[in-house]
Amino acid sequence: MRAVRGVSFEVRRGEKVGIVGESGSGKSALALSILRLIAPPGEVVGGQVWLNDRDLMRLREREMAHVRGSEIALIFQDPMTALDPVMTIGAQIVESIRKHRPDVSRKEARDRAIELLRDVEVPLAERRIDDYPHQLSGGMRQRVVIAIALANDPPLLIADEPTTALDVTTQAQVLDVLERAVEERGAAVILITHNLGIVADFCDSVKVMYAGRLVEQATPTDLFRSPIHPYSEALLRSIPDPARLEQGPLPTIPGAPPSLANLPAGCAFEPRCPLGRGVAICKNTAPPVIPIGQGVAECHFAEERWADNETMRKEAAADDRS
Amino acid sequence: MISFLRMRLAGALATIFGASLISFILLRVLPGDPVRLIAGPLASEQALEGVRRQLGIDLPLPVQYARYIGGFVTGDWGFSFTAGGPVREVFASRIAATAELALFAFVIAFTAALILALLATYRRNRIIDGFVRVISTFGLGTPQFWLAMILLIVFFEQLNLFPGPSGRLDASTLAPPRVTGLLTVDSLLAGRWDAFSQAIEHLILPALSLGFVPFAFLVRLLRANLLEMSREPFIVVVRSKGIGYWATHTRHVLPNAFLPTLTASGLILAELLTGSVLVEKVFAWPGIGALVVDSILRQDYAVVQSFILLTAVLYVGVSFLVDMLYGVIDPRTRNPVSQRG
Repeated sequence: MRAVRGVSFEVRRGEKVGIVGESGSGKSALALSILRLIAPPGEVVGGQVWLNDRDLMRLREREMAHVRGSEIALIFQDPMTALDPVMTIGAQIVESIRKHRPDVSRKEARDRAIELLRDVEVPLAERRIDDYPHQLSGGMRQRVVIAIALANDPPLLIADEPTTALDVTTQAQVLDVLERAVEERGAAVILITHNLGIVADFCDSVKVMYAGRLVEQATPTDLFRSPIHPYSEALLRSIPDPARLEQGPLPTIPGAPPSLANLPAGCAFEPRCPLGRGVAICKNTAPPVIPIGQGVAECHFAEERWADNETMRKEAAADDRS
Repeated sequence: MISFLRMRLAGALATIFGASLISFILLRVLPGDPVRLIAGPLASEQALEGVRRQLGIDLPLPVQYARYIGGFVTGDWGFSFTAGGPVREVFASRIAATAELALFAFVIAFTAALILALLATYRRNRIIDGFVRVISTFGLGTPQFWLAMILLIVFFEQLNLFPGPSGRLDASTLAPPRVTGLLTVDSLLAGRWDAFSQAIEHLILPALSLGFVPFAFLVRLLRANLLEMSREPFIVVVRSKGIGYWATHTRHVLPNAFLPTLTASGLILAELLTGSVLVEKVFAWPGIGALVVDSILRQDYAVVQSFILLTAVLYVGVSFLVDMLYGVIDPRTRNPVSQRG
C-alpha cells in the first residue's frame, strides 16, 4: 500500500511550508521519504526530491548521509522518545556536529553545543549539557531535539509535529524558540502538523494532505478565508473556537480516512464529502489538479467554489484595507 | 547510594545464609553415612565414634552449623577425607584450572554472541540472521557432555587437529612456574611460547563444549533486544543526523539493547565457573567440577558445603558487579540524586 502518492511541491529558501492533515494521512511518511529514512520493509518506490540541483533519491547512501543533518534536518514529533536515553544530550549534539565537520575539535564542538542549547533557551546550558534525557522535562527535551537539528545550520528543516506531545504553554514557548532560530538562520521549514492554528501563525503556505495526496495548496490567508477543497473546509470547521461554543458541539468529519491499501477509483474524500458524496464524477474520476488563485486544489468543484468565494474574499480584503 | 548499598549487602547476606543452610540440611538428610564410608564396613563402633569426633559430626546440629560458617569466614574450610587434605588447599590447587576453562569459554561465547548478533541484526542481514537462528535453536537443545564427545570424535580422533582428553598440557610438557595458576598467563609470564600455544590448544575443545549453550542463549537474547531497539524512534533521529547504519547500530542500538545481555552474562559466568562438572570429566580436566562430583557421591561434607557457599558468594559477587555496571551503561539506573527536574 502507498502512504504517499503523487505529492509534488516546492519549498523556496527561507520559506515556511505547513503540511496539515489528520492522523494517517501520510504526513510523517512524507517527511521520512524526503530523508530516505523509511524503515524496511517500507520503501520509496518512485519519485524525485530535488535539493537545489540534486535529486536526493538518486544519491548514494553515503552522499545521502551527508545531506541528512547538514542540509536537511529533522525535528521529531515526540521528544520523550526522540533522544538516546543512555547518552548525554551534549554528546548527542556533538555527534551531529562532528559527523559533518570532523575537523572541529571535541572542545570546540562542546562549546558550540552549549551555544546551541542557549539558542533554544535551555537555562544553565553549560551544566545541562551533561544531563541525560531522563533528567529533562518534555519541553526541555524538545528544545534539545531542535538544537540537534540546528547543529549544522541546515538550510531546510523538517519539523514533524514538533509540539504535539507538549502541553499548551510549552507548545507556545517551543514554537517561539523554533521560529526565532529559523528566522535568524534564514532556514526553510516544512512544518508537519494537524494543528491549523500553528500553521496560521507560522507558515507562508499550507498544503492539506488527505489519503497520501496534497488535496489543496494555498496561502494561509486564502485557506482560512475560503477553503476550496471540502476537506480543508471540514478541517477548519473542526478547530475548537470559544466564540462558537453556543452553536453546539464541535463539528467532526464523519467517517474515517480510506484504507490506503484499498483506495476508491475517484476522489478519495468522496465517501465523506458533504458536496460530492454519491456524485458520479466524484465517485468514478480522480479529480485533476486545478490551479486556483495562488494555489491548487484537487476537487471537481474547485473552480465553482473559487468563484462562489470571490465576493467573500473581496469583502475580507476590503476589511483588511480599512 | 548508601541505602542502596546497605540493601544490596543485606540481600547478599541473606542469599548466602540461605544457600549455606540448605546445603547444610540437605547433606544431613540424605541417606547414607559418610562415617561408614571412611571407616569401612568392618569398623568397630568405637572406631566409628572416633571418626565422628574427628569430623565434628558428633556435635549438636546448631554447633556444627556455627562451626561451618565460622570456619568458612576464618578460612578453615574443614578437612576433605576423599582428597586427603584441607578443603582450602584442595580447592586452591584445582580452582585455577576451572577458572581458566570457564573464562575462556565465557570469552568465546560472549564475543561470538556479540559479533553474530550485531551482524544478524545489521540491516536485517537475512543470511547471517538465518544462520544465527538455526545455530542458537540447535545450541539451546544440545547437552554439553554430548557436544564434548562429538567434538572429541571429530577434531581429535578423525581430524587430529586438537589434543585429546589429556588435561591442560601434554604429559611431556613441563608446566610454567605457577604465578596465577592460569596456564596461559603463567606461560606468557615465563616467556614459554610452546606451553602457551599448547595450553590454548587444550582449552579450545572443552571451552567450545562448555561455551556453546551460553553462546546460543546470549545470541538469541541480544538479537531480540537489538531488533527491538533498532525500531525505537530515537534511532530515526540519530539517522536523521547523518550517522551511518553501522555507527548507529554500534553506538546507539547496542548500548540500549545491552542491559539484559549484561545481566545474563553475569549469571552465565558464575554458572560456568561452578558448573563445568561433566565437561571436566570428559576432558580429564583437573578442575573443581570432578572433585565436587566425587565428594557428593562420598558425602564429603566439608567439600560440598564449602563449594556451595563459595558458589553463593560468587553469584552474589557477580550480580553485584553487574548492578554496578548497569549504572555505568544506563544512566537511568543510577541514583536520582543528580536529578534536577
